[in-house]
Amino acid sequence: MKEKSMSRRSFLTGAATVGAAAVAAPALLASCSGNNNKLTPLKKEGEYYVPELPDKAIDGKELKVGLVGCGARGSGAINDLLNAANGITVVALGDVFGDRLFPLRDQLKRDWGQDIPDERCFLGFDSYQKVIDAGVDMVILTTPPVFRSETFKYATEKGVHSFLEKPIAIDAKGYRSIMATAKQAQAKGLSVVVGTQRHHERRYVEANKQIQAGLIGDITGGNVYWNQGMLWYRQREAGWTDMEWNIRDWVNWKWLSGDHIIEQHVHNIDVFLWMSGLKPVSATSFGARHRRVTGDQFDFFSTDFVMENGIHMHSMCRQINGCSSKVSEFIQGSKGSWDSETNEIKDMEGNVIWKYDEEKAKQEFEQHNPYVLEHVDWVNHIRKGTAHEEATDNAISCMAGIMGREAAYTGQTVTWDDMTQSEQNFLPEKLELGPLDLASMTVPVPGQ
Amino acid sequence: MTTRKKYLLAVLGGTLFGITLVVAALYTSNVTSTNESCAACHIHPEAEVSWKQSKHFSNQSGVQTDCAACHLPPSGTPNYYWAKVKIGLHDIWMYLTHSKEDFDFESKRTEEYAPNIVFNESCKKCHANLYPEGITDDGVAAHLYYDENEAKLNLQCVTCHLDAGHFIDGYKHEKMTTAPIDTTGPVYTEPASVTSFSNFTETIPGTRASINMVAVPGGKFTMGSNKGDKFSRPDEYPAHEVTVSPFFMAETEITWNQYWAFYAETMSEGRTKPETIYANNSRPDVDAVSGPTPPFGIPDQGWGMGSRPAITMTHYAAETFCQWLSLKTGRHYRLPTEAEWEYAARGGTQTPYFFEGKPSSYSSQGLWNSIFGTDTTTINRYAIYALNSKNRTQEPSRVAANPFGLRNMLGNVMEYCQDWYAEDAYEKAGTNAVDPKGPASGTDYVVRGGCYNDDASELRCAARRHSDYEAWLKTDPQNPKSIWWLSDIKGIGFRIVCEGFTK
Repeated sequence: MKEKSMSRRSFLTGAATVGAAAVAAPALLASCSGNNNKLTPLKKEGEYYVPELPDKAIDGKELKVGLVGCGARGSGAINDLLNAANGITVVALGDVFGDRLFPLRDQLKRDWGQDIPDERCFLGFDSYQKVIDAGVDMVILTTPPVFRSETFKYATEKGVHSFLEKPIAIDAKGYRSIMATAKQAQAKGLSVVVGTQRHHERRYVEANKQIQAGLIGDITGGNVYWNQGMLWYRQREAGWTDMEWNIRDWVNWKWLSGDHIIEQHVHNIDVFLWMSGLKPVSATSFGARHRRVTGDQFDFFSTDFVMENGIHMHSMCRQINGCSSKVSEFIQGSKGSWDSETNEIKDMEGNVIWKYDEEKAKQEFEQHNPYVLEHVDWVNHIRKGTAHEEATDNAISCMAGIMGREAAYTGQTVTWDDMTQSEQNFLPEKLELGPLDLASMTVPVPGQ
Repeated sequence: MTTRKKYLLAVLGGTLFGITLVVAALYTSNVTSTNESCAACHIHPEAEVSWKQSKHFSNQSGVQTDCAACHLPPSGTPNYYWAKVKIGLHDIWMYLTHSKEDFDFESKRTEEYAPNIVFNESCKKCHANLYPEGITDDGVAAHLYYDENEAKLNLQCVTCHLDAGHFIDGYKHEKMTTAPIDTTGPVYTEPASVTSFSNFTETIPGTRASINMVAVPGGKFTMGSNKGDKFSRPDEYPAHEVTVSPFFMAETEITWNQYWAFYAETMSEGRTKPETIYANNSRPDVDAVSGPTPPFGIPDQGWGMGSRPAITMTHYAAETFCQWLSLKTGRHYRLPTEAEWEYAARGGTQTPYFFEGKPSSYSSQGLWNSIFGTDTTTINRYAIYALNSKNRTQEPSRVAANPFGLRNMLGNVMEYCQDWYAEDAYEKAGTNAVDPKGPASGTDYVVRGGCYNDDASELRCAARRHSDYEAWLKTDPQNPKSIWWLSDIKGIGFRIVCEGFTK
């Protein structure tokens, strides 16, 4: 028998199996093997979120948007939003650096005819408040992750819909803040979308439907990967303060990025938590630094997560040149397995019993870019007035990453209970372009 | 009338009767759920006063919360009607058969009792969002812990929000920052001078606190119980002879005045890791110990401080108190061994209590005593226990001393010993042991003497119990949990002993 009582999203009871046949039917049609004609769904339709993914957002209320964080990700996100929906006006921009903000303003003018006057271009660490107070309906928050919880909190207090770039929490205090703010956003009926775009990528959404319908049976474990070459970095330039250097080189500093097990790899960890509905209870991890040039982070992590029902999930992430690359997720079930690398579900004999139909999607839809589709979904929820909140689930995925990171840094097994209640807080009390205690930012040594 | 008509009439009549019954029942249910209806039988105006002083009467939103909103399950649920019937009948019975003086209303306001009359589901019906705007990080941490562990640990809203519905003077949900120190009397500059083996009063330099120490002569006694002794348990077997050397023992359990003197001097920040505290405090050259962090709420439970026993500290905190006192006075203070404790409690007697009387006549257990009542005359003079405590600790002056001159050895609060607890410790004790120290290792410590809400059977000199940190720290949301304060036990304190005649 299955033991579902521990699961965060356990819904199934014996009675639920009655309704299972209907849900299982589509999966069966796609199935090549005729003998497993009794699928037990993990969740029934309607009990898990399936985004509508039309090519473009519905027309409706004119919406004013602000952007906080005008770097590469923010620039991408604001353009994706303008691709996703009509009737959007960009009314305010915020960043710490003018050389990131003003080129974006020029591009938005040039390509979209969006005119953002000087008085609504805000520079400084408090620019997020000024952007949110500039009369916006919605705000894109794409600063380095350490600032996410405070900016999200302010936006929610002001009743503004947020798009939160991942990761949204990199320390325990940030996690708790996000969890509380997410509840407040729910209470206010806000629409909150997180930039873990796999949730809006059709091949993932379709695979999840099959998994929830029971095509791979009960989930018994998984492996998730983000192995790639070296990431970018910035050497310090003359005239930069410590803070300016850190922020311009932010993906290499743990207080800003949370390290790449969260900053980047949270995507993959999140897929397993999303589809399994489980959260981790403990993490044991290896990691080290070999090649990085700047900052205080590791080059790789390899983490064993024990989930709340006792199954294991293994995660690995590496940023080293000259090694094999792999960015994907694999989920093992009692009746089969799914691999996002091939978009296939195989039974226990290795037969492909389902494959994502990319050709069909190409015929049905024009827009396939998940970075645009997540904004389509965001705008649709706002225009339809249907509240939607992704921050809670993503914060839990980030907490998994935090556990993995701390387990690797310390060499100790880290538990959910320890980490969620920890005093860890990376946000400096004083935010200004001035000196930092760089001497204290050393590469962690496990076991010490 | 045709049969058909009679039948229709009967159906119509039956339906009308049914509707009338349901309407009457709903009406009764509604009118018996008003504040006025509650107050008709619940004649304790203090409750109304404290309700009006509370946040549930006066707040920014202007919403007032009625009796039934908290003291019954959510209105309209099956639990609601069941509780109304059950509680209603009970209340009417008590109203008819008791007078107001029979009730100790203060004891109904304790963390132990309040969950019986306040329902989590009712709290959450109104407080649907446990993470309202403006909540502090500590609040978020506590509520996340609650959300994840409510069912597993049976956590109760009122445990942390005891003053939500009825104001409690001095109750603070947030952390306390400064110690309430007794500021009367002189500050001692020198420890006591002890030149012979006789009672003395230790004066703690730099504080206003002193401790009466009783000289306990050494001797031989029979420790434990024999099989068949009333209420005895297997961990008390076999009874065996033990010899203890002379020692000094505090006349009473360590008081709040004494404990706050320690706290005020040693209070530590709270962010230091336990391992660091242990390491620092156990350095051989340590000249100042790190003591307790600020507790949640006020640890005296609103019962009063002064000479009442200090409670809710961990065994480590009690040991650190001894370490601090030893540094301050130059004498070696420590917790008693289990053998020293039982020897001292017996005061030279070998009977179940150091006073006269049998456990079977004092105990409330058993059918006979529960119907005809228990004998309380003698035990009442010597011990604070379930039948005379009013569900809280009492001041030591309330009881007479035992033959050695020690007060409250039995009852009031359980006392830590330095021994590890093992159920089979006596089986391994051998015969004629001299100053035994118990098992070499363990997970829980011996606690002795029973406490204010125990039955008389738990107060026997030979009765053994042990600490249980998992249960005693159930609702502490911190991780790691506090090494200084216990969140879920009240009747625990300690008493100190001093070795040797002089420095």
